[in-house]
Amino acid sequence: MSGRRLDHTAEAFEFIEDLDRLTTPQDIIDAMERSFARFGFENFIMTGLPHPDQRIESLVLLKKWPIDWYRRYTHNGYDRHDPIIRLCRQTVQPFEWSEARYDPETNPKGAEIMREAEEFGMRQGYCLPIHGLNGFEACLSMSGSALELTPQTKPALHLMTMYAFERARLILAPSPRPNPLTAREQESLRWAALGKSAADTGEILGVTERTITAHISSACIKLNAANKTHAVARALHHRLIEM
Amino acid sequence: MTSIHVITKHNKANYEEVLEEYFRLRHDVFVGERGWRDIERPDGRDVDAYDNDHATYLIALDNERVIGGLRLYPTLLPHMISESFASLIRDKAILAGPTIFECTRYFIVKERRTGRTDCRLLAAFQEFCLEEGITEVTAVVEMWWLPRWHQAGFKVRPLGLPTTIEGQPCLAAAIQISTESLQHVRRLAGLRGPCLFHGTSPHVQKKVPHVAA
Repeated sequence: MSGRRLDHTAEAFEFIEDLDRLTTPQDIIDAMERSFARFGFENFIMTGLPHPDQRIESLVLLKKWPIDWYRRYTHNGYDRHDPIIRLCRQTVQPFEWSEARYDPETNPKGAEIMREAEEFGMRQGYCLPIHGLNGFEACLSMSGSALELTPQTKPALHLMTMYAFERARLILAPSPRPNPLTAREQESLRWAALGKSAADTGEILGVTERTITAHISSACIKLNAANKTHAVARALHHRLIEM
Repeated sequence: MTSIHVITKHNKANYEEVLEEYFRLRHDVFVGERGWRDIERPDGRDVDAYDNDHATYLIALDNERVIGGLRLYPTLLPHMISESFASLIRDKAILAGPTIFECTRYFIVKERRTGRTDCRLLAAFQEFCLEEGITEVTAVVEMWWLPRWHQAGFKVRPLGLPTTIEGQPCLAAAIQISTESLQHVRRLAGLRGPCLFHGTSPHVQKKVPHVAA
């Protein structure tokens, strides 16, 4: 067993050292495909997680997904209901797809998405969330029909994916999207989340009620929210404000 | 405004209250929040064998309140990785040398984790190490921190595979110290120049204008 474990260590370190020599996104895809195939992975996607007003396809760094599945997924906005993405926003720990629980009652689309993924051979999966600085969120999600996911392989995969992500980020140099809300809008929503009215918040912050209402309206527009409650829920869900 | 203070054996007499608060906060964060029961102490202060005259502290203060900090320790002496975490190192080849230090007990208090305090402390860390001629800093870090370091512009090499400690996958790694990394993290922190304070405590600083007046 220790022999196998040594193999995983060597495999991971070799993969990480080689990454420095890669210069294009396709190079990284090829390297990941080669190395991750040894653990049973056939498909993977590396993507930022969208804010309410963003589409996921604008945040995808790299992917090796069946093209029909990718089209269906992005066309239907599956990321809004995908149980994997939901769990990914809530945890910093890697997890197997089977660990992403969802209630078919409250998230019927979630069940549908997982079923459809299976039709494309994405039966089992492993997701590695990334929670960066300044609210930047991303993940690497990988799948296959027969994975070698053990306490020995997981640490190697974890390390390899974090370095693959970093290399892709450097090559593609996407600037992490800043929080679309201004400091005052965030503050107004935080007080609203604590049950304060616009008048209360105005008093706390030493400005008029009208100013607070204006901040909240502007936040509603940015978050595509119907009202203050909706805006608070969206801002919390997407970690644009923290309590 | 946050300032980062360098505290060593030479100036710690000026910082008695700050250090007391810092040790209490360490206990709050590492025992209270993270649940490291091994280091729990009845007096509520986290102080260990490495809190001695060889340690250097970078402590983030805001209005005289401690809001975060880290500890640096020479790797030529027995240090935490060599004594407690050697199993995390590939082939147990401990990285040590006169210009290599170990960073431990990094934390930011809960209320300040969403802003730029992390970036400021990381910038101060690079700045201090550059000033002191430190070339590399080793640390055991929870894996979720690795992409954050990367995003801060740090060059980090793994020293072994992640290993689960207290339920968290942790990695032994070495951070390269460089002006490029300092510039990158300074930009993220919104800093134009140095943010390190040497020598005088906030207490003394506050007194000076009165004396001068």
